[in-house]
Amino acid sequence: MKNSFDEKILDEAQDWINANQKVVLATVIQTWGSSPRQVGSRMIVNEKGDFSGSVSGGCVESAVVSECLSLIKDNKPCKKIEFKVSNESAWEVGLACGGEIAVYIEQIH
Amino acid sequence: MKIKTLEEILKKKSSKTEFAILTNLENGDSEIYLPGTSPKGEFSKYAGEIENFFKSKKNGVIENSEIFIETYIKPIKVIVVGAVHIAQYLVDFAKSLNFEISIIDPRGYFASEQRFPDIKVINKWPKEAFEEIETNSSTALIALTHDPKIDDPALQYALKNKFYYIGALGSKKTHENRCQRLSEAGFTNDQISSIHGPIGIKLGGKSAPEIALSIIAQLVSQTYKK
Repeated sequence: MKNSFDEKILDEAQDWINANQKVVLATVIQTWGSSPRQVGSRMIVNEKGDFSGSVSGGCVESAVVSECLSLIKDNKPCKKIEFKVSNESAWEVGLACGGEIAVYIEQIH
Repeated sequence: MKIKTLEEILKKKSSKTEFAILTNLENGDSEIYLPGTSPKGEFSKYAGEIENFFKSKKNGVIENSEIFIETYIKPIKVIVVGAVHIAQYLVDFAKSLNFEISIIDPRGYFASEQRFPDIKVINKWPKEAFEEIETNSSTALIALTHDPKIDDPALQYALKNKFYYIGALGSKKTHENRCQRLSEAGFTNDQISSIHGPIGIKLGGKSAPEIALSIIAQLVSQTYKK
């Protein structure tokens, strides 16, 4: 059972915002097959590329950070990204577990 | 997500109010939903689905839509009878698994606050103790004293109030005697056989943390069957 009440990632997002950082929130919204982090798992990224939390077991985090930085640069509100097994065309990252995940990224503004 | 929405989420989170975050994945709109209310604007089309996600404690994208829902549901209440050594390990496991433990034990020397910091310990007999705890069919009971004087009234209460998980520690022989007593007290075979006894899944371990692990594993598996 996931204990969302005790998760601190959104509190941390607010701390970053209070420190005048731009924050993008990444959330796992769908999973297929085996994937290490369940739906609702979160990660935050700031404009410098610092991040906290996780959306996988380390497989796609770097790609998510890059996407979040582009979102800030292009000043877009949100984007949905799907990661499949060795998704070579995009970022050359994939999920070693053989699963697929969809991650939704959105600016907190 | 708007900063205002984030602030509201944090407020609800710290007051442990049950709610859900609804997000429109197409345009980025998000809103907070409270159970029993009607979702606003675009989200109102999916009122039924949103309610179902909430009831089944699920997070995810509503089928054939671009609506994502993340639910914030209170921990499952687990009542442990017997402030024994195994209970100390149960408390440790429960914390990271979203179970909220309350302990009942009329024996003062067992149920001390030092042994169970941050846990509600009720130093009364089960009958009186249950007057202090709100329970329903989403509550679980773990009876650990294997003393009929203490366990039996709690088991009877849990059966009558249809707890979704009821487990009782004790050997096969102890459990047979327990079933016999419950039968004499008027409980049906179906009711009695719903009790997990001897409690826990078979792991092979005998130490207190191993027994606690086998109990918590059974509780988790029954919670997903619910």
